[in-house]
Amino acid sequence: MNVQFLNPFVEAAFMVLESEAGVSAKRGQLALRRSAATADDITVLISMVGQVNGVALYGLSEDTGIALVSRILDQPFDEFDALAQSGIGELGNVITGQAGNRLAEAGFEAKISPPTMVLGKGTLISTLDFERLQIPLETELGTIQIHLALREA
Amino acid sequence: MSKIMVVDDAQFMRVRLTKLLTGHGYDVSEAENGEQAVKTYRAARPDAVLMDITMPEKDGLEALAEIRSFDPGARVIMLTALGQESMVIQAIKSGAKDYVVKPFDPDRVMIALQKVLG
Ligand SMILES: [Mg+2]
Repeated sequence: MNVQFLNPFVEAAFMVLESEAGVSAKRGQLALRRSAATADDITVLISMVGQVNGVALYGLSEDTGIALVSRILDQPFDEFDALAQSGIGELGNVITGQAGNRLAEAGFEAKISPPTMVLGKGTLISTLDFERLQIPLETELGTIQIHLALREA
Repeated sequence: MSKIMVVDDAQFMRVRLTKLLTGHGYDVSEAENGEQAVKTYRAARPDAVLMDITMPEKDGLEALAEIRSFDPGARVIMLTALGQESMVIQAIKSGAKDYVVKPFDPDRVMIALQKVLG
């Protein structure tokens, strides 16, 4: 996996979290993994197809998800209901879209899919023969794990 | 009172946009994909459209082209996370009146709408 794909996602996530939820993030320890990803309470999956192919995953706890959508919509949520799920899916969409804009500027154009969401901790998500970069983003509302299994076409 | 159609696959975005627009006195209709957008447009004939791009069924660029084929005067503003030059060019070529990149900025959306509504 090409490490130059990482920064566009981290920068996009910082920008989108700040703009949407007024939350600043700090990057944690980067890891390169070949094993399957273990799902958090909530995992958003978005595929990219084009000059970059593969999938971006965003993992977070239910508490973090609820806190984020409450901030963004400026209304309290007590459960991770359909509207909250849609909000976190959209957050993944905007981060991936913004990362895609940065990748396009670097010469890698790609289309992105609508988000899919896995609910429930512990499921193994295999990116098959794609290596995966994993980087945690720490925020005051909890950690968001970004997993990238991307490859140049 | 102007009628605005909001098209986005995320219910969360439709709720946010509808709140913003009804707060400014607009009449709002919603569609959750490109296919539904074309149907709702035919029936409701909105004065302007806020159109997402990444959606299942039919994406926003296809819906834009289809709407403009039967209503060449349609006023469609793209509102999407995709900001690549190639996308913007394709949207403008297909007749989009403006192009707003997410994250969602209420002021930017209102300015774009007021501009297309004249
Ligand atoms: Mg969308």
